[in-house]
Amino acid sequence: MLEKQEPPLLSCRGLTKRFASPAEASGGGFVLANAGVDLDLRAGRVHALLGENGAGKSTLMSMLSGWHRPDAGTLALRGAPLVLGSPAAAMRAGIGMVHQRFSLVEALTGAENLALADGGRVSARRTKELAQRFGLALDPGKRVSEMSMGERQRLEILKLLARDAHILILDEPTSVLAPAEISGLYASLRRLADQGRAVVLITHKLSEIAGAADEVSVLRRGRMIAHNLPRDPALADGWDMAELSRLMVGRDVPDCVASSVPPSCVLGAQDDGLQGAEHSETTLSVRGLTAQSGQGEPPAFADVDFEIARGEILAIVGVAGNGQEALAATLGGMERPARGKITIQGRPYDRALVAYVPEDRHGAGTVPNLTLAENMLLSTTRSRGAIFARGAGSRAARKALEALNVTASGVNALARELSGGNLQKFILARELSKGAPLLVVEQPTQGLDVLAVCDVHAAILKAAETAAVALVTGDPAEALALARRVAVVYRGRIAGVVAAGDADAFERISRLMAGLAPVEAALAEVAR
Amino acid sequence: MALSVDLANLALLGQIAVNSSTAVLLASLGEIVTERSGVLNLGLEGMLLLGALAGFAVGAATGDPAAALGAAAFAGALAALAHGFFAITLGANQVLSGLALSLLGAGLTGVLGRDLLGAPGLVLAAIPLPRLSAIPVLGPALFNQPPLTYLALALAPLLWWVLGRTRLGLLIRACGENAGAAYASGVPVRMVRYGCTCFGGALCGLGGAFLSLSYTPGWKEGMSAGQGWIAIAMVIFALWKPLRALFGSLLFGALIAAQFLMQTAGVQWAPVWLLRAMPYLLTIIVLTLVHASPRLRRRSGPPANLGRFFRPEG
Repeated sequence: MLEKQEPPLLSCRGLTKRFASPAEASGGGFVLANAGVDLDLRAGRVHALLGENGAGKSTLMSMLSGWHRPDAGTLALRGAPLVLGSPAAAMRAGIGMVHQRFSLVEALTGAENLALADGGRVSARRTKELAQRFGLALDPGKRVSEMSMGERQRLEILKLLARDAHILILDEPTSVLAPAEISGLYASLRRLADQGRAVVLITHKLSEIAGAADEVSVLRRGRMIAHNLPRDPALADGWDMAELSRLMVGRDVPDCVASSVPPSCVLGAQDDGLQGAEHSETTLSVRGLTAQSGQGEPPAFADVDFEIARGEILAIVGVAGNGQEALAATLGGMERPARGKITIQGRPYDRALVAYVPEDRHGAGTVPNLTLAENMLLSTTRSRGAIFARGAGSRAARKALEALNVTASGVNALARELSGGNLQKFILARELSKGAPLLVVEQPTQGLDVLAVCDVHAAILKAAETAAVALVTGDPAEALALARRVAVVYRGRIAGVVAAGDADAFERISRLMAGLAPVEAALAEVAR
Repeated sequence: MALSVDLANLALLGQIAVNSSTAVLLASLGEIVTERSGVLNLGLEGMLLLGALAGFAVGAATGDPAAALGAAAFAGALAALAHGFFAITLGANQVLSGLALSLLGAGLTGVLGRDLLGAPGLVLAAIPLPRLSAIPVLGPALFNQPPLTYLALALAPLLWWVLGRTRLGLLIRACGENAGAAYASGVPVRMVRYGCTCFGGALCGLGGAFLSLSYTPGWKEGMSAGQGWIAIAMVIFALWKPLRALFGSLLFGALIAAQFLMQTAGVQWAPVWLLRAMPYLLTIIVLTLVHASPRLRRRSGPPANLGRFFRPEG
């Protein structure tokens, strides 16, 4: 092919990066974040970089975008050697990156952020023109703090385009979007690639690459396991997903992980005997629940009604910022509702009846600088006196470690020393050990690697045998994998409840999350 | 005794009010610029004293107003540079570094200025502006003032314009709100922060020079008398906005004028301690009001990255 002849837009050879190890446990030496990484980015291609969390994807991309300097290895731009000393230098070379956490100044407007990025004047008209030229809808006068995640992402991309970037790197771009917005993003990226740019998607979700990528590279533990694998037209998904996931994880993984959509290890949760049974015993009942609101601002959620029976998992799904965070915090006892009633087992709400696994593992979930045993004692209701029983705490922590197979140096390990997956398992085990009738879990698998996801899902399903579980998540696939019913929250209200067993459940949830009317209603509308 | 507030009296009070606000206004404008770039410098009290001493010493030695003011600004900027080194380069705790600067300034000027106590020196007296100062009441209040007061009054709208309407202002605000984003956009974050910190220090030094050359000419140990702390409260009272700092400083000046009026008239409407506490009370009231209103809260908070260390790598 002709394009094989010309040099790639950007090529990396032998990129290596070490970081000083933060934990003394590992000998105080270095962590090899990237070792001898090769990669070619070609114009007109959408390239997916696959890898688990901690595989070194972000480090690699930080080197390409000038945030880190490689310890060894070379970069070449169109065949010419390239040295990047700062993000500004990368930008001058035409390489731009959209980080997972956006680098926008929230207090400034879209137009101001754009002017900051490209050195131009603050002009609403110019911003609008630019947005229209690339088909990225944006309100230039709106402050970033008032923008949706999708708008912020479009602004980030626009910032790069305004500076004429021809290599666009997006770190986990879909994690903040509703399923309906994702296809819009893919369409924009395809258009940008077709105009002669190279686009890189960094992701750990296999299902995402099928829809968007032309080629795939896989990183594992800092090494490039496979690079520039082209799409195989013979396969429906473009690649052998089971093979890719094996490359990514480095060993055979349970079937469920390899299958493209549901990430759960325990398939068939829906037809589990308990979940299918009659639920005579309602554990949690929520009536007319409305959040507190500041003056002038609408409450985060309003008039929410639902029930969860013992032995049932109800998933509460929504795009970030639609009120499910506040709902989870209210169910978990962190916030007081303005109105409405929560009853647990027929009794008024009591924090002692709830086990709560918050989203923020290192903040609300644990105290990072306390040991696991101490973290255990903080929340167990049994040692409430002035003097706590250190021995009991250690025993309970040890039990928790064993129950969910947590890897830690022991009960005296500090919470911050655990990896995300192990910490999450520890928190889950701690909360489960309370034996509370209601378990509220918020974003339980965000940022975890596939094997940890398996363990966490299994633990949630196990908990659902004896308790009612409210699973708050932004991932519809996770909701479908675990729950029997999925309630979708949109702008603070429950937009609809979907039975997970239905054939078109995923599609309906996606529409509801994006604020679109259910298909039936839309059809009825058309018929009239 | 009945209190007669005739026009002449009112003009005098206005003059005192504007005059008394100068040091606080200069220091708080400087601190606003510093903080908008993301650096918290609590060393205003120390920088005021250093500026006061440097300005007075050089003024007494040379008799040259330009040299005196230059020395004051330089002293303030140099002290701020030291704070900047700890805060911006080393990533030290900015609260501690700033407090240390305040203590250092007080101690150092106490030692260095010992021989200058009560010495005669340069005085920068009021310069009435032709014609403008003849306007009744407003004339003397605004246009019969020492040069540094004119500078302070002119700087407030100028800084409002620079921060809100120019690219330089955009860079400064970006550094204070989200240093990472600014750096990614190619803004030399640390240079901007150093620049703003030193600018803030220079203004503060000039505020000090105003005290020792115009307000109460001469050097006295600890002559800033807490105005640096008032200026820090003023930044918060002003919600990090220059024009509100102008308003707040004039309010502070009016409180001083009220004390003056009570002394000369021999009437006491309110205890002096209450007037003295007013700037702090008002700051707390403003903070409470802002917090209570979500609309204000969204637009009027401190810069999001205020006092946060930024390291480019990682």
